[in-house]
Amino acid sequence: MAQNHDVALTVSGLKTFMYTNKRCNKAVNGVSFQIKKGKTLCIVGESGCGKSVTASAVMQLLPTLSRIEEGEIIYHSDRGDIRIDQLARNGRQMRAIRGAEMAMIFQDPMTALNPVYTVGFQIIENLKYHTALKGRQLKDKAIDLLRSMGIPLPERRVDEFPHRYSGGMRQRAMIAMAMACNPKILIADEPTTALDVTIQAQIFELMDRLKKEHGTAIMLITHDMGAVAELADDVAVMYMGNIVEAGTVDEVLRNPVHPYTRALLASIPVLGRGKNQDIHAIPGSTPDPFDRPSGCQFAPRCAFATEACNVMPDETHVTDTHRVMCWRYEEFAHAAAAQ
Amino acid sequence: MLSYILRRVLLLIPMALVISFLVYLGLELTPGDPVSYMIPPDMYGSMDPERLQALRESLGLGQPFIVRYGIWLWGVLHGNFGYSMSGGVPIINIVGDRLPATLELSGIALVLSTLIGCVLGTISALRRGSATDNSLTVVGMLGVSIPEFFFGLVAILIFALNLQWLPVGGRTLPGYVTFWDRLPHLVMPALVLSVTMTAGVMRYARSSMLDSLNKEFIRTARSKGLPEWRVNLLHGFRVALTPVIVLIGFRLPVLIGGSVVIEQVFQWPGIGNEFVAAVRSQDYPLVMMIALLSVVAVLLASLIVDVLTALIDPRVRLGR
Amino acid sequence: MTDITTQRRRTRLDRQFDQIRAREEAGLNSHAKGSRFVRKFLNNKLAVFGLIVFTVIVLASVLAPFLTPWDPQKINLRAILKPPSWEHWLGTDKTGRDVFARVLYGGQISILVGLGSAVASAIIGVVIGCYTAYVGGWLDTIAMRVSEIFMSFPQIILVLLLVAITGQSLANLMIIFILTGWGGIYRLARARMLSLREEEYVQALRSFGLSTPLIAFKHILPNALGPIMVNVTLSTAAFILQEAGLSFLGLGVPMGIPTWGNILNVAQDLRVLQNNWWMWLPVGTVISLFVLSVNFIGDGLRDATDPTQQG
Repeated sequence: MAQNHDVALTVSGLKTFMYTNKRCNKAVNGVSFQIKKGKTLCIVGESGCGKSVTASAVMQLLPTLSRIEEGEIIYHSDRGDIRIDQLARNGRQMRAIRGAEMAMIFQDPMTALNPVYTVGFQIIENLKYHTALKGRQLKDKAIDLLRSMGIPLPERRVDEFPHRYSGGMRQRAMIAMAMACNPKILIADEPTTALDVTIQAQIFELMDRLKKEHGTAIMLITHDMGAVAELADDVAVMYMGNIVEAGTVDEVLRNPVHPYTRALLASIPVLGRGKNQDIHAIPGSTPDPFDRPSGCQFAPRCAFATEACNVMPDETHVTDTHRVMCWRYEEFAHAAAAQ
Repeated sequence: MLSYILRRVLLLIPMALVISFLVYLGLELTPGDPVSYMIPPDMYGSMDPERLQALRESLGLGQPFIVRYGIWLWGVLHGNFGYSMSGGVPIINIVGDRLPATLELSGIALVLSTLIGCVLGTISALRRGSATDNSLTVVGMLGVSIPEFFFGLVAILIFALNLQWLPVGGRTLPGYVTFWDRLPHLVMPALVLSVTMTAGVMRYARSSMLDSLNKEFIRTARSKGLPEWRVNLLHGFRVALTPVIVLIGFRLPVLIGGSVVIEQVFQWPGIGNEFVAAVRSQDYPLVMMIALLSVVAVLLASLIVDVLTALIDPRVRLGR
Repeated sequence: MTDITTQRRRTRLDRQFDQIRAREEAGLNSHAKGSRFVRKFLNNKLAVFGLIVFTVIVLASVLAPFLTPWDPQKINLRAILKPPSWEHWLGTDKTGRDVFARVLYGGQISILVGLGSAVASAIIGVVIGCYTAYVGGWLDTIAMRVSEIFMSFPQIILVLLLVAITGQSLANLMIIFILTGWGGIYRLARARMLSLREEEYVQALRSFGLSTPLIAFKHILPNALGPIMVNVTLSTAAFILQEAGLSFLGLGVPMGIPTWGNILNVAQDLRVLQNNWWMWLPVGTVISLFVLSVNFIGDGLRDATDPTQQG
């Protein structure tokens, strides 16, 4: 683990369970990672692996029928370390952090923005509660923010309702709202899934620029490996509530050692190889969250599963920064190095 | 915004015309000599047959149906509602006398039920699953299940006859000058009339609020670190309000209808009371006119509700 | 959530969660047997209570001849306005008729009017809604306009209007109720039909050459059954209340036939209200209980057929 003054957020052993329909779903079952200042951590995984729940847990924005069971979420602020998991969800302390020091942008900006208030109003809300600005200053700052996010004619746009914006502009507006108070940590939950590919590129570019200009620590949640390759400094691969492999982007993408990561990377069609290329889809489907395999969650679909996989593998380090949860990782480490 | 209002008004007019047409059809089909309610009864009684026949022709009663309808409609639009068969009073006078009383009663009941219903429904939603929520739900169920007039009867028994806190009925007594003098008479009828509507609004506000609180923008609001009251009220309730107002618009006919029975129970001198008397005495002109007026009231009210909705919800203005 | 302290306290939710988690880890939360619909309905205590009360009242009315020896119409001028006693469980009215018997027999008519009208208007609404929506075109437009016209009238005013024209009788009243009530279900069925009409499986059925009515009724209708059932219960409640109100005014079912509303008619007299409680209070309570039970059942049905229910 890196030194504290590099790190903005440390999560260790986080377990978050969902309690809807009177069932207990262990959505996040022991997850640890760090978000470093000025760097991007990408959390990758299929739908239902628990990445969004992790993000919500970090911001204490979990739905009512769920809770953080175990683990620590430590925010390394200027005032010292704050145990977020110990704070009341909507208590004064947590609310002071949310919006000002930690912010989040969501997947679908159309539903994430309130349709009955103007965009300007919603940005100003953030400023009103976390800064000392008043009156005209608030509106000016909002216009500034919109402009810096690349929205044309911000003086007019600030008074318009969300449904008058295009998809890409809405997402920019949401980023403007999140960045209004210059937070230390920005969590982006699949911010481009609902957008066109060309717009995706623009949004990623925007986020990269913010990272460089403000030194924001970014946690990007996505299922798009291409985005990972472009933006990530560090990667964590999640499957059914566990991080199966994590490390720097070079390590994970070039030397993947977990069978799941390897299968994921192999299943991506490559532009330019033509329509007859081999596409290796991962066989099977994700297990029912209420009927999980004991031990390693990927074992039923893994081509390399053995008896040992009925026990959850420990976390082992391939290098200082590269860690994996697999009994047979060494075989793949050599195979990957050989490639 | 203005264009939205104009559009809605234009949509209303055909509906009003069709209904007026049906009403006139009803008038023509019911037994009775049409002349008898188009002129004052004493005049009718004193005329001899030839003059009556000439009068019929001058009133256009020999013309084709559509012309007769047109003449009648023209008269209505100018305030000529015809004459009541029992008593011979011009209907417009009856309406003028009685309408204010009904409007007062229904208006207050509407305001009360909207306010109380929204407040209780929101509280219920925010405390979902708690004892407060459950008891309010049951109370709401009772409110829509107990017949309003039964409620009124029990209220009269307890508060007027036994405890003698409030008068038994009527709207006003000689000697009353201000609104506050009349207030004791207004209390029971208004509260009783609003019971069913309040219960309905409360249940709907609760479910609308729950829906609204489930939406993504609530999470966004929280992620900005806003205090809970702001998230719940300015974001949650504000968006939940639109369907509730639409529901109130739908339920307005029920409120107007409710006043028919309540006015009987409390002897409130309103249009509803008059309507019942007219039905009992088979005074068709009066029955038809009041029915027509009630429809116009409903159409107007739904127009107002539509405009209100457009005001508070910008999505509506674009016809989404 | 309330702002407590910075340390998390254990709340009621926490205890519930602990329970659920323990059960899950012990494997007790596996998939239950039986129809999900029935299970959900029976879990709803209010709905079960409603079902019981509803059944009791209906049975009591149907079995009226076995539950009371008195003829509800029999006048007995020697036993006027008697308070409840062992002989007359709910006392007698102004002409010596046994009130309990009148309540029981009256239930037969009131329930017939309420439930019968609701079911009949549902059938008509569904038939018209499904067919005209499926066919579309001018037929659909006309049907919509007609239902809108009916719905522009406050229902009681429309009912009274028609009563004034056609006169009072039991059959007339039911017909009028059906006429004024079909609109609600019609709109429901139509909305469902419109949303399902464009689904792919319907297109497939059409390409197989199945006739329009067959597709409309056999394939699309079952999908809409849930909300329709809920609506039928709500309509029943509404019609019973309306019949009570009308008969209370003396303008509903003719006074010769006992119904719950007719019995309440006497309460218009303030002296009866104050002195002879047995003549109106029990009837009003029975009406309230019956409508309440129907509403509970309706709510239970709505929850049981709603696929998006949360814990």
